[in-house]
Amino acid sequence: MGDVTEEEMIQIANNFLLASPPGEFMEVVTDVRGLLPDDSLINDTAPITFREYNTVQMLQVYNGEVDVLVSKHGEVSDTEYLDPRSGQVFSFDHIRQEVTGSRPISGELDGQVEPYRSAIDQAFEKYAREFYANGTSAVYSSKKGSDFVVTMCISSSKFNPNNFWNGRWRSIWTATFKPNGQVSLNGTLRINVHYYEDGNVQLNTEAERSASVAGGDPQATAGNIVKG
Amino acid sequence: MVDQLDCALDLMRRMPPNDIEDNLANLIDLVPDLCEDLLSAVDQPLKIATDKEAHRDYLLCDYNRDGDSYRSPWTNKYDPPLGDGAVPSAKLRKLEVEANEVFDIYRDLYYEGGVSSVYTWDLDDDFAAVVLIKKTQDSTKKGQPMKGTWDSIHVVEVQNSGNSAHYKLTSTVMLGIETETKQAGRVALGGSLTRQTEQTSEVSEANPHISNIGRMIEEMENTLRQSLETIYFGKTKDIANDLRNAAGVSLQRQQQALARDIGSSLRSR
Repeated sequence: MGDVTEEEMIQIANNFLLASPPGEFMEVVTDVRGLLPDDSLINDTAPITFREYNTVQMLQVYNGEVDVLVSKHGEVSDTEYLDPRSGQVFSFDHIRQEVTGSRPISGELDGQVEPYRSAIDQAFEKYAREFYANGTSAVYSSKKGSDFVVTMCISSSKFNPNNFWNGRWRSIWTATFKPNGQVSLNGTLRINVHYYEDGNVQLNTEAERSASVAGGDPQATAGNIVKG
Repeated sequence: MVDQLDCALDLMRRMPPNDIEDNLANLIDLVPDLCEDLLSAVDQPLKIATDKEAHRDYLLCDYNRDGDSYRSPWTNKYDPPLGDGAVPSAKLRKLEVEANEVFDIYRDLYYEGGVSSVYTWDLDDDFAAVVLIKKTQDSTKKGQPMKGTWDSIHVVEVQNSGNSAHYKLTSTVMLGIETETKQAGRVALGGSLTRQTEQTSEVSEANPHISNIGRMIEEMENTLRQSLETIYFGKTKDIANDLRNAAGVSLQRQQQALARDIGSSLRSR
């Protein structure tokens, strides 16, 4: 077995971190630190790895009033995330996994797409609350060429370490459309469940869905998307 | 000083089971000093090798390994050949040969396929054995997109005392299932369960070690298979349902309220 370079070690360590099951990230960090010859080896890459994990997993965090999502789709900068529903941009410390502040939105949301985004947000939040008891949803908007793109994210997680299980459901839906035009819906759903009493059982599922619904004014579009 | 082996084992308990081999290799790259300990402590899916002399397959594990060579239970020889590889004593080898034949039949009856191997080794006045069974299924060609693997690893320690013996059994079953359908997308369900049990039994002509051990293992496998079903399918379904209700929270609340009403009107009779 050849000698592994420091670079390779850091890569292996980060891969372990990114593969952590929901709710067990910090335990994996402790394990990996204990295994490295020098646990400060991952300190340089830690901010990047922690951020990657938090955004891909769509962490639900509490900002003092409600739960909000940390996700790539709402990323304003490395440490700032959009919460369109409350009109705030909140700062997030990836290492401590805490919200550290917030400021009002100024220009992060596209004015033209906004009526659609906000109508869809209302309808979507109702849907999410109905079906995802522990979930948090967020609806973001952007423009691709002349198409409006609204991205809807749901992240629902349940942690029960005393009974040795954790799970997380992540849905990301993208609606692409022109105002009053047909809406093309694409979604990816991911489920991770980990049960580890006297063993290690994990379920990892990834499914894709697509649909096409009629557009119209913002309210109609929203209604149709949620039904779809 | 943090115990590195504890960290490593804890880490392996959290990584996706379907990637065990890659993760273990990476782990050993990270801490080469722990290599021997890790190989013997972490259960990996078993590998199959063919004994060209006996024209039969056998399973590879840490207990029939010496250096980089593995011992075949059919011919008792190492591949690649070793001049002084560890082998069981003559008396124990006789028991090993019989155990392999018995478990071959057991495997055929319960698994209708697969490969089994039994390895024994001497421990002072006593001995230990490991019974391995592996079965894989790949139905992708038949149009049923399902790949599955079952690995059983049963390690039993035997302590002789007069006319009876004390058996300590540690069993691990690793089950992995992967399917890909349009309905459900890519689903990977995998994992392992470990259980232990102990028993003291009479040893005689009518109840030789093999039948005592065989009975223990049979009972253990039945229990494990049942737990697997409950945990893999039952529990994970429950957890997934907790994450997203199939019927919706309002419907659920209605049902709960109805249940409460019925409950209280029954009690007030």
